[in-house]
Amino acid sequence: MQATHAQPNPLLHPVAHVRSRFQTWWQSRLPLRDSTTLTQRNVYILPTGPGWMLALTLGVLLVSSINYQLNLGYVLTFLLTGSAMVGMHVCHGTLRGLTMNLVAPDAQFAGASATININIVSERRSVRHGIGLAVLGSGHWSWTDVPALGSTKVQIAFQPERRGLHPVPALTAETRFPLGTFRVWTIWRPAAKVLVYPAPEAHPPPLPPGEPRAGGAASVQRQSTGEFDGVRAYRRGDPLKLVVWKKAAKADELVSRDAQQVQRFELWLDLAHTGAGLSNALEPKLSRLCAWVLLAEKQGLMYGLRLGGQEIAPGSGEAHKRACLQALAVH
Amino acid sequence: MLQPLSTLPREARDTLFLLAVIAWIIAPLVGELPVWCSAMAALLLLWRGVIALRSAPLPSRWWLMGLLLLAIAATLYTHRTLMGRDAGVTFIVVLLALKTLEMRARRDAFVIFFLGFFTLLSNFFFSQSLLTAASMLVGLLGLLTALVNSHMPVGRPPLLQAAKTAGWMALLGAPIMAVLFVLFPRLAPLWGVPSDAMSGRSGLSANMQVGTIAKLALDSSIAMRIRFDGAAPEQRNMYFRGPVLSTFDGREWRPLYMGFPPLVQTATDLQVQGPPVKYQVTLEANNRPWLLVLDATPERPDLKGYTPTMTPDLQWVVERPMADLVRYRAESYPVFRHGPLREASALTLVDYLRLPFGFNPRTAQLALEMRRDPRLARADTSTLVNAVMERLRTGGYQYTLEPGVYGSHTADEFWFDRKEGFCEHIASSFVLLMRALNVPARVVTGYQGGELNGVDGFWTVRQSDAHAWAEVWVAGQGWVRVDPTSAVAPGRTGSLQRLESPSSAFTQALVTVSPAFALNLRALWEATNNRWNQWVLNYSQAKQLDMLRNLGFESPSWEDLSYVLIAIVVLASLVGAAWALWERHRQDPWLRLYHRATLRLQNAGLALPPNTPPRQMAALLKARSPATDAGLSSVHDWLLRLEAWRYAAHGKDKPPALGLLQREFRQLSWPKRLAPLASARPK
Repeated sequence: MQATHAQPNPLLHPVAHVRSRFQTWWQSRLPLRDSTTLTQRNVYILPTGPGWMLALTLGVLLVSSINYQLNLGYVLTFLLTGSAMVGMHVCHGTLRGLTMNLVAPDAQFAGASATININIVSERRSVRHGIGLAVLGSGHWSWTDVPALGSTKVQIAFQPERRGLHPVPALTAETRFPLGTFRVWTIWRPAAKVLVYPAPEAHPPPLPPGEPRAGGAASVQRQSTGEFDGVRAYRRGDPLKLVVWKKAAKADELVSRDAQQVQRFELWLDLAHTGAGLSNALEPKLSRLCAWVLLAEKQGLMYGLRLGGQEIAPGSGEAHKRACLQALAVH
Repeated sequence: MLQPLSTLPREARDTLFLLAVIAWIIAPLVGELPVWCSAMAALLLLWRGVIALRSAPLPSRWWLMGLLLLAIAATLYTHRTLMGRDAGVTFIVVLLALKTLEMRARRDAFVIFFLGFFTLLSNFFFSQSLLTAASMLVGLLGLLTALVNSHMPVGRPPLLQAAKTAGWMALLGAPIMAVLFVLFPRLAPLWGVPSDAMSGRSGLSANMQVGTIAKLALDSSIAMRIRFDGAAPEQRNMYFRGPVLSTFDGREWRPLYMGFPPLVQTATDLQVQGPPVKYQVTLEANNRPWLLVLDATPERPDLKGYTPTMTPDLQWVVERPMADLVRYRAESYPVFRHGPLREASALTLVDYLRLPFGFNPRTAQLALEMRRDPRLARADTSTLVNAVMERLRTGGYQYTLEPGVYGSHTADEFWFDRKEGFCEHIASSFVLLMRALNVPARVVTGYQGGELNGVDGFWTVRQSDAHAWAEVWVAGQGWVRVDPTSAVAPGRTGSLQRLESPSSAFTQALVTVSPAFALNLRALWEATNNRWNQWVLNYSQAKQLDMLRNLGFESPSWEDLSYVLIAIVVLASLVGAAWALWERHRQDPWLRLYHRATLRLQNAGLALPPNTPPRQMAALLKARSPATDAGLSSVHDWLLRLEAWRYAAHGKDKPPALGLLQREFRQLSWPKRLAPLASARPK
């Protein structure tokens, strides 16, 4: 998603423009996969700046050996050359043969820092050192070693910018091991998609007032006295504020207030009624709704969601919250 | 030291290691560097070490700039230039030490490594011995280890791991090195080398100040090695002729004809008799423009790259100093006659009678007294020589390495006061006395004797074999060699007995415990060194072309070398490409076994999702097969063991060998057709 860099101006930066166009074209050729095995076809290698410096050093060493007729100088120069060439091979071999599996990413909130989990498997009988992974173009590297005949898990940080259902950004793996004279890298476009919820509003107004519950069931219930009606055993997902801590201190098990008895109004979070202080733009409204969904869920309330024509019946719990957030994400 | 090293934080540990490697590389240079440079480097490295240990901040750039300016000024003051070899080495060492104080970014670290490589090379300016090579190999491996270590960003990997990687890279790089070393054309220097390039090597010098050879006698390093084609001449006749010194100014002996082109000089009048001695000489780099050959060598020695010419006093000189080890063949005739035979044709003999004015009055007095002796008054030259030799033999004269410091009347002091001296004192005093007796005489310097190395059959001549003897002119015979030292110390030239210089306690202990063993050890060491010289240091374009000739080239040139090199590169690339192709199709043996097992089970009708682990395959198989089927349960067990080989935690019990699993795979009774799916029953 953030891989769509602003294209450089072709007139001001012709080289950068061509390079950027080339990179876009190159990446679009890469197949989408959730698991990739690195071979000679998709591992690239180029000398680094220090690599060119080493080449220059070797040149000067060679000229010194010639000018001073030092046979041992030749030996040193050529041994260093040989080591650097072997180093190039080792560097390429560090990535070649690796298998990287993407662990299907969890849904994320836009703007928050999120992680992509990757499992790297090595089938080689020696350790692979100094492998860095990052979202392509982000520059935030996660460095790892991959044990011999084993696997390792890497978390890559990234920051989704916009809500929606997006492909996981293109990833890159890189190594400069062992001498730093060559950069070996690969680019991988995972097939998996990541769901990005809207960014919740930082300081949302209080929840809107509830609407009277439709049907006769509500009238049967007594007016609230501000006391809870009953307790029941703790169920997973109950908000902590419903837990009766005094009882929990006496007994071994957790007990919750029976919140459903408390609520006599249905809480509807509606795109059309997001309260004052917002312009007509869609995103701030969705952000507020997102914040409200989280708030209502935290308070253990029953809440429903109306997004234009789409309506999610009131409910609560993790699954309900996710359904609401997903609806907000793809709206 | 190791224990605290392992408890240090990684950054401090890495820095200390790098500092140790740098110190190792600089240490052999200390003797060649100005004192201030060694001291500054040592202090800077120490300072950096303390900073690393205390995790203190690095000094500011102003400090470094100040120190750099100081170093530049000191270099300029010491060497009067920033260019050239010696100034360059000084400057690089200071830069390297200074740069350790500026290790902020990765780029800084790389600069240190590259400066380190230059410092490695600069060691070879001063010595290319086997020991230097070994020590610099350690230094190179240390630098590579530090470099590899700096590219292991995760955790705190042990240094040994980085060292292993570096060692492997160097080992695998060695064949590349060997090919390049053998085939890379040896070019002539691309541009003029500064004149200081060749200093720092000792040996005979063009002049002789009394006391210089005694210094050489303490140096048991090797001057040259000789291999005789046939039998070697007798040791006491091995006189390797160096500079002939005929002019004495009271302090110093100099050659007579210095600076004259050979054509202007008089003919040598050399006549040889008998069979020649043929031999090959490997002359260590001595930075001198002369060859050392046995007396007398009428034919030009065969030396590539130089044109030796003979001076009238039989010395072979070349047009420029030999900065490198050279090898040449020569033929010498032990029986020869040279020089003018009659006095009438020898006007130049006047030069060999000159004595400096105001020096050695008592020697002149001695000559007068001898002439007054009726037996010697009209004696011929050989009688006079015998008389003087007799005086040396019987006058209580001593041959010693430590004659003390002579004053200005060296001959007087030798003949009358001290009565002890080294060969140069004796030869100089002898020649002066002969001249005072009106006998033309001169000093010849060179090497006398040698030592046969039983391991490889080479004769070794050391700097401690440096010698000075005399030649007197005898009417009718020309120049005749007289070695006055043999009169004082017959052992010096006869049985090759040498004055031992004080050696280290260890060597002394070794010699005391087992003289034979010490001698053998030394012989072995020198044979190894000789090999090293012959094969590594003396590997020249001539040898390269010889090798090509052996490979079948008609008239090889250095272009052919390039072709061979390019051919090898192309060949290596092709092999590499083929290997890459092969590797793409290659599979892990475990995976291959796994795929074969999958195929068998799928053919038997077992539906397997892709990438089913063997454990799950076993479970699926079990669900589909009756428990009583022994064949299937053995397949089941085998699948579990296949899983364990790959994924079980190693260490507790050793997994079965893969070869065993492969063998069992063939012996197992694989199901032909499985019963219909058990779970497919109607609900």
